[in-house]
Amino acid sequence: MVNPTMPTDPVEPPYAASGTLGLIAAELWDHLWPWSRAAFAGQKAHWRALQAAGLALAAGATLMWVLAAMGRLEAGAIIGWWFGWSVFEVIVRLGSKPYVKEGPWWGRRYRKAGLMDMVCYVGFKNLLIGATLFIALKSAGLLVL
Amino acid sequence: MKMTIPSFLRSLCTAIALSFAAPTVLADAYNARLPDEINSAPDLCSYAPCAEVLPGATAFTERKGRPFYVEGYAEREGKRELVGYVMLSTDITDIPAYSGKPVITLIGMDAQGHFAGVKILKHSEPILLLGIPESAMVRFNEQYLGKFVGSNIEVGRTRPGEDVIGLDAISGATVTVIAQNQVMMTSGAAVARQVGILEPVVREPARLKETGATLDWATLVREGSVKRLTVRPEQVGLPRDGGEPFIDLWFGYLNQPDVGRAILGEGAWRNLMARLDDTEHAIFVIRSGGQESFKGSGFVRGGLYDRVQIRQGSDTFTFRDLDYYNLYNVAAAGAPAYSESAIFIVRPEHQGASFSGAYPWKFVFLGNRVDRATGQRSFANFDTEFWIPAHYLEGGRPVIRKPTPTWLRVWQTRALEIGLFATLLVTVAAVYANRDRLTRASTHKNKWPVNAFKYTAWVISIGYVGFYLMAQPSITQVLTWFHALLFQWTWELFLTDPFIFLFWIFIIVTVFLWGRGLFCGWLCPFGSLSELLYKIGGWVGLKRYQFKLPKPLHDKLKWVKYAVFFGLLAVSVLSMTLAEMLAEVEPFKTTFLVGLFNRSWPYTLFAAGLLGLSIFIERPFCKYLCPLGAALAMPSTFRWFGLKRKQECDSCKACAVGCGSLAIDKDGRIDQRECLLCLDCMVLYTDDHGCPPLAQERKRRTKAGLPLTPIGADGYYIPIKPVAAAKPASA
Repeated sequence: MVNPTMPTDPVEPPYAASGTLGLIAAELWDHLWPWSRAAFAGQKAHWRALQAAGLALAAGATLMWVLAAMGRLEAGAIIGWWFGWSVFEVIVRLGSKPYVKEGPWWGRRYRKAGLMDMVCYVGFKNLLIGATLFIALKSAGLLVL
Repeated sequence: MKMTIPSFLRSLCTAIALSFAAPTVLADAYNARLPDEINSAPDLCSYAPCAEVLPGATAFTERKGRPFYVEGYAEREGKRELVGYVMLSTDITDIPAYSGKPVITLIGMDAQGHFAGVKILKHSEPILLLGIPESAMVRFNEQYLGKFVGSNIEVGRTRPGEDVIGLDAISGATVTVIAQNQVMMTSGAAVARQVGILEPVVREPARLKETGATLDWATLVREGSVKRLTVRPEQVGLPRDGGEPFIDLWFGYLNQPDVGRAILGEGAWRNLMARLDDTEHAIFVIRSGGQESFKGSGFVRGGLYDRVQIRQGSDTFTFRDLDYYNLYNVAAAGAPAYSESAIFIVRPEHQGASFSGAYPWKFVFLGNRVDRATGQRSFANFDTEFWIPAHYLEGGRPVIRKPTPTWLRVWQTRALEIGLFATLLVTVAAVYANRDRLTRASTHKNKWPVNAFKYTAWVISIGYVGFYLMAQPSITQVLTWFHALLFQWTWELFLTDPFIFLFWIFIIVTVFLWGRGLFCGWLCPFGSLSELLYKIGGWVGLKRYQFKLPKPLHDKLKWVKYAVFFGLLAVSVLSMTLAEMLAEVEPFKTTFLVGLFNRSWPYTLFAAGLLGLSIFIERPFCKYLCPLGAALAMPSTFRWFGLKRKQECDSCKACAVGCGSLAIDKDGRIDQRECLLCLDCMVLYTDDHGCPPLAQERKRRTKAGLPLTPIGADGYYIPIKPVAAAKPASA
């Protein structure tokens, strides 16, 4: 039976029943780390390969930000990296953490993420992270345009 | 096989292409490529059309003065006669316009101080690219012609009582023209003061107090008697050099005895003071970092130091070779090592201005910034303010009345309109927050308790917000912010358009609270106009022609707007100019800012076509094309408070059938990204004659003779729970 009170079916992530602090920590980790060990173990070989490639890409993304911080990358390259990484993160999350929060951000309701839900989540989250890093680097004089 | 196109078809295609291209062709100053020399060559008029802005002048001098200007002369009866002055705005000020970049303007002023000509050489204003023709800016600038540079000229109404001359603004480009007015008045006044047209500002001399304290360098820095000006390589468009500054300068005011003695030592300070008269002021400068010289490598005897100057208010003080003394040693203990030093003497009477040590002033380093994308150089200056500490002045620091910032003046002069607009936003938010009361007061046959508010909001939004205030939010604003974030973010710039500023605060807050529907469905001027046309179409008998697209087709077409949004975003990374042009997919400029009949016909046809289509299909632009709607739909995924549903909604189609936005799927789920919060489904939710499960329960209870209890927040009748009978008292 479909639950029409949510745009998609309800889902309970493993940490849904944690205490407040535990929940905040788990959600913070969820925002920053798109992979999941359980999903990795349960996935088919090609998904595992994709996840492994993702880890390499994550290392690349980190290196990119370090280079940006050293003033070695142009804004266009950073935006390109940001976009490429976001697309990859959408794919990874749909396999490993395929859920998004429903309703108030301080609540405990989660639901299954459709492709567009995940695009919106990753796009919005990475926009906030990217903008924060961009403004921080620019105000520290480490990024020149 | 050779394909031939009939000649009439070729002519038609050419005409269409030209019609679309016409506004772009006219926007010839948009991001125009100017020769690099225009910023630096002594002979400015070899690179800029000086004769166009100073009619009658046939010969021009090289750049002179500080800030720069050129003199224009005419030959009359064999004599050379001064006609006036020409100045390049970016030689004087870098006030940014809406795009975050300055409008580079060539200004002509006659010998009596009246504006003689204005020409925009380059601008990056998106609104002037396709929306408002550049001719509107030309007409705006023509308002200055003949006006005296010393007049109090403002954008807005003329106020004779306050001696203010008003200029007609350009509807829809308020921020641009306000910035342009600042550029015109600042540039004109700066040159007029230099050449003696305007009287200098007289400032009361400082009455310096001697405390007898012995000051070391750290104390001097801490109390503000010595200040620092650091320019980093990236600020002038150069690559970072391992943290090494482009130039790192320290400076201070030597006339104050305690400071002067601390820096120079007793003997040297007394010698220096003996060489100055009462109106002259000594400033020391040392370079403790960087390789760039503040004196300038090209300095020649008899010339001007062109890399440093002092500014007090609108007066600029430059230094010639005779204004320079050697600084051999800094006596203060703990002073940093330095590789270049100087003492500069401010001689106000040489420059027709007054300088007072009691008032704040700025030490300015003049440079050029290289645009890394285009390689073009532009004027840039870097400054640090100095104000002598109060304890060195008899009676302390004088009280200074700072002029009201431009953005604040806009808020003050439009206070009533801003108040009404803010009231509208707050009222709509408050009405929506109380939607439960309104929907309960409505029925599926009478939705006026909701619609009265919604339709009123539409009418006000179309008439007052759209046509009168021209405050139509647009994807171009998002792109402009993106640009401003990259280049130069200034809060003042965005505060200068209070309506758009307030509207975006409202949009951001309500999108996170309830989703994009409150803005898109209740307050977007174009969306309101679109749906009002649909409603009017129904009321005047066109209902039988009105239709919805089949849901499967709608579910495909709704993605088009996201493609438009992502396309614009991607293009904006490559070329803001192209993105601004493509943003014409929004018919907002044509409808509200410029007017349906003031644009070339393809734009008018497009906007009129969408509005015409709106009579038959509810909000076709909002559902399928609007990039702003798509941009707001994405965060709407995570709105905090959505609309309510019942379990029975999974099989009941009553709400879905009536949903104008086609936002309810076959399972009764609401797509919050598509929902425009019309509240029709919420009216049904508590309507025991409209909502099938409720109606069923109503009939059951009525048949069984049970009371109809109130409907709870869950959308069901409050259950009837029999209360246990009281136990009889024991005997």
